[in-house]
Amino acid sequence: MPDSLRLALAIAAKDIRAELRSRTALQSALVFAALVLVVFNFARDPTVLAATDLAPSVLWVTFALAAMVALNRAFNVERENAALDGLLLAPVPREALFLGKLLANLAFVGTVELVTLPLFMLFFNVSLGRALPGLLGVTALATIGFVSVGTIFSAMAVRTRFAELMLPVLLLPFMVPPLIAAVQVTSRLLADRPLSEMWGWLRLLALYDIVFVTLCMMAFSAVVDE
Amino acid sequence: MTAPLAQAAGVVRRGLVLGGIGLLALGGVYVLALGHTPVEARQGLAQKIFYLHVPAAWAALVSFSLVGIASALYLWLKDPRLDRFAAASAEVGVVFSAVMLTTGPIWAKPIWGTWWTWDARLTLTLFVFFLFIGYLGLRAAVHDPAERARFSAVVGILGMLLVPFIHLSVYLFRTLHPQPIVLKPSAPSLPPEMLTTLLISTLVFTLLYLGFVTTRYGLALVDEAREEARDAT
Amino acid sequence: MPPETPQNGEYLVAAYVIATAILLGYWGALLRRARRLLKEKD
Repeated sequence: MPDSLRLALAIAAKDIRAELRSRTALQSALVFAALVLVVFNFARDPTVLAATDLAPSVLWVTFALAAMVALNRAFNVERENAALDGLLLAPVPREALFLGKLLANLAFVGTVELVTLPLFMLFFNVSLGRALPGLLGVTALATIGFVSVGTIFSAMAVRTRFAELMLPVLLLPFMVPPLIAAVQVTSRLLADRPLSEMWGWLRLLALYDIVFVTLCMMAFSAVVDE
Repeated sequence: MTAPLAQAAGVVRRGLVLGGIGLLALGGVYVLALGHTPVEARQGLAQKIFYLHVPAAWAALVSFSLVGIASALYLWLKDPRLDRFAAASAEVGVVFSAVMLTTGPIWAKPIWGTWWTWDARLTLTLFVFFLFIGYLGLRAAVHDPAERARFSAVVGILGMLLVPFIHLSVYLFRTLHPQPIVLKPSAPSLPPEMLTTLLISTLVFTLLYLGFVTTRYGLALVDEAREEARDAT
Repeated sequence: MPPETPQNGEYLVAAYVIATAILLGYWGALLRRARRLLKEKD
């Protein structure tokens, strides 16, 4: 297992380095996130709808959309460079390949999320203070969930004709449970509620992650191998 | 006509006949539902939509589960018949979902006062519909039959496993956010005419499912037989 | 006084008509496709 893990990290590092060189995925996702936050802020009437009511949903919609942009671009870059074919010829265990791709995608999406969070605090005048560790935790859990499914679906979508359309259509139903849970936990965190109120949702997120990361890892071979 | 084509044509014919009988039987259900069941006092005539909506929902869910199971079996056994069956079941599932998603809101509006609510069952059925659409869209976008079968199978399995999570998250959402009491459309104890009609309707929908899936499966066979004949010449 | 049974027959009709249209329509589409595929076999 440690061998596979090292392999996965190497694959992830390669992808991240490639992205740092071109930066296209990161840039589009960040611009997108900033745009969404600004639009949402102007779309609400502050006297009617308090920031704290709307904030969790806005944050998570932003994260979800930025994630889809990042996922799509990441795999497109890969396809354009035909690098995946080389990797597939090598005797790399497909689970390690998936893990590597997942880690790289998590790095992209995670970066977008880490930059979006301060923007969010700024535009919505939300003080995160004590909620920050919890927020980072729930963000990590939910992101792992939908990025794992997103990774395998983008591997599929890239091989189809309408790749840009295919990924969101396939991914959308899979984002629903992590998003619902994440918004619920976020809203309670911002309202300083006790942990007991979030426990059910956090367990749901953890279970979702375990089930889908495992499943996608096992199914990855069916997608990339003939 | 080549032998496989003749066989496929036979399957299609059987399916169409079965479906046709199902549709006639459905007419019988209409007669039962409209003529022989009592009118529910609190809900009025609209309650009778129940005899179409519930069996359609059930058939859609069964279609969906079978797609998931066939997908899992396909990845294990690699039998193209399983893939063909999954595709047929998915298409038929979309049809039943369409019936469910149209009759549902039409029933809800007079009874609950709103076309839609995000309760566990409705949300689940909506997302099953989206999953079906995604599944069929993916199939349409992939040309190589082997690749299409593998990809569809992965989506089928993941989709099947998603369903309990959607159900769980919506259920958690509802229980932690108490909602105003809504009128429950299905009374806990149904008068015998209602129960019988519901059961008969469910049987008819099962018949329709079998007929439609057989036809669709047969049509896929015809397609393949014609491809082969074309390649051979 | 017991509550009035609501008069909502038009919803009933709408639902039954739409459901019939969908199911009959699908069967018809399958039939048409079968005819087209099996006619031009030679």
